[in-house]
Amino acid sequence: MNRLQSKQRAVQERIASYCEQISLCVERFKTTFGECCTCFDRQKVQKSFDSVHLAEGRADDIRRELENLMYSRALFPESRGDILGLIESMDRVPNCAESAVRMILNQHISLPPEICDQITELVSVCTKCVLTMLEGVSQLFNNFIDASITVGKIDKLESEADRIESDLIDRIFSSDMPDLQKILLRDLVDKIGGVADRSESVGDRIRIMVAKRSV
Amino acid sequence: MLALAGGVYLGWALGANDAANFFGTAVGSRVISFRRASVLCALAVLAGAALQGQAGIHTLSGLTEQTVTTLIIVSVSAAITITMMTMFGLPISTSQAVVGAIIGIGIATRNLSTSGLAKVAISWLATPLGSMFFAVLFFIVLRWVSRHVRMGILTRDKLLWTGLVVVGTYGSYALGANNVANATGIYSGVIPGLNDFHLAVIGGGAIGLGVITFSRRVMESVGKRLMRLDAFTAFIAVSSMAATVHIFAVIGVPVSTSQALIGAILGVGILRGLQNLKARMLLNFSIGWIFAPLISFVLSAAASAIWSVG
Repeated sequence: MNRLQSKQRAVQERIASYCEQISLCVERFKTTFGECCTCFDRQKVQKSFDSVHLAEGRADDIRRELENLMYSRALFPESRGDILGLIESMDRVPNCAESAVRMILNQHISLPPEICDQITELVSVCTKCVLTMLEGVSQLFNNFIDASITVGKIDKLESEADRIESDLIDRIFSSDMPDLQKILLRDLVDKIGGVADRSESVGDRIRIMVAKRSV
Repeated sequence: MLALAGGVYLGWALGANDAANFFGTAVGSRVISFRRASVLCALAVLAGAALQGQAGIHTLSGLTEQTVTTLIIVSVSAAITITMMTMFGLPISTSQAVVGAIIGIGIATRNLSTSGLAKVAISWLATPLGSMFFAVLFFIVLRWVSRHVRMGILTRDKLLWTGLVVVGTYGSYALGANNVANATGIYSGVIPGLNDFHLAVIGGGAIGLGVITFSRRVMESVGKRLMRLDAFTAFIAVSSMAATVHIFAVIGVPVSTSQALIGAILGVGILRGLQNLKARMLLNFSIGWIFAPLISFVLSAAASAIWSVG
């Protein structure tokens, strides 16, 4: 039982570090898009991408450690499956943020000034959505009853991101940009919005975990 | 002394079957290994039998006076009944089988204590009802606690699963204190040199041996079956069953742990919604509840008539 307790502590500590890395990753994702909107400097964007990639890589390392801990029978069975599912679902958030930044870099996408405001707004809402999701995860390990309220906030932010995303795509296709650029920008907007979608999926998992334990 | 072998066998079978009700969930979900659970359970059973098992032995021995022949008839009738019920996959009540057989012998030999019988009959009704009451009480209290105490999911799970091992041990103690009478209670005052304490220790040892040597499969299968209940419901069910069985041990009436378990699950079902309960489970419970004492009664009465006992 004592061994199980120390493993439980180790799991909780690693989840906290995992959340920190995801938070760092989305903050850098936000900074990168900010830089892209003010003045596109390829070297600067490359540097930002490297920092997002680094944070995502660290998050991956922690996730693997967590999974190994789980397979070494840390936690009680009821919690084990739930936590494995949660971290698997959380993993998609930094992956999506990283691939949005990678898209700008690899596909040489430049953001037209007329949509920069809305892109910044979308990135900001998505970042807020991720940070709220991380708050929900933290509540799950401290006071899980409160987590369901936070999940409601995630849903609202995701709807807000959906609305901005839809307006943006409408605006892109109403403009007189070349068709190829329109398609590239649409894909990019989809990718950015995906960050909020994936946070919402984590929120759904949190909701199920809370419901399973509510009496 | 040889006649006691029947009781030891009955105790062994009882241990192999009934320990699963208390540790099945914890073992089935790998919270505790079978080896640890069985040793913990066997020690608790022995302690319960030695410290509080004599009251039940006194009650059972007071139902009727036994001779070596009647002892064999009672043991064999109960054992056949248990085997039949097991073959049909019905919930087994060792207490009901033993008491049914004792009543059969008692009526055939016109040697039955009606006051003791009334105590036993009331307990059969009171076991599921008492367990249901405890389940409702524990459920309400724990629901309040879980809604008002701030905790994370890991802490909550840890508390519940550790609690399951603790109440499993307490339940095993109650099982020893209550059910030892089924194994060796009828030998009270029959075998020279053995008093009720000796019988309680022998019976407790036999039940413990059954737990260690043969309960693994039952424990794991009950664990899987009970895992359909969430940890919270399993905790409520095991604690209610343990409390009920212990109370009857103090009163001195051997009761069925399976019936206490069904009562507890029904109790939780009342609060959580009866639609979650399986009609099949209730039907099996009712059939077992009626037929276990009836079959052993008929068998022992018939055997008494054939061998013209009394």
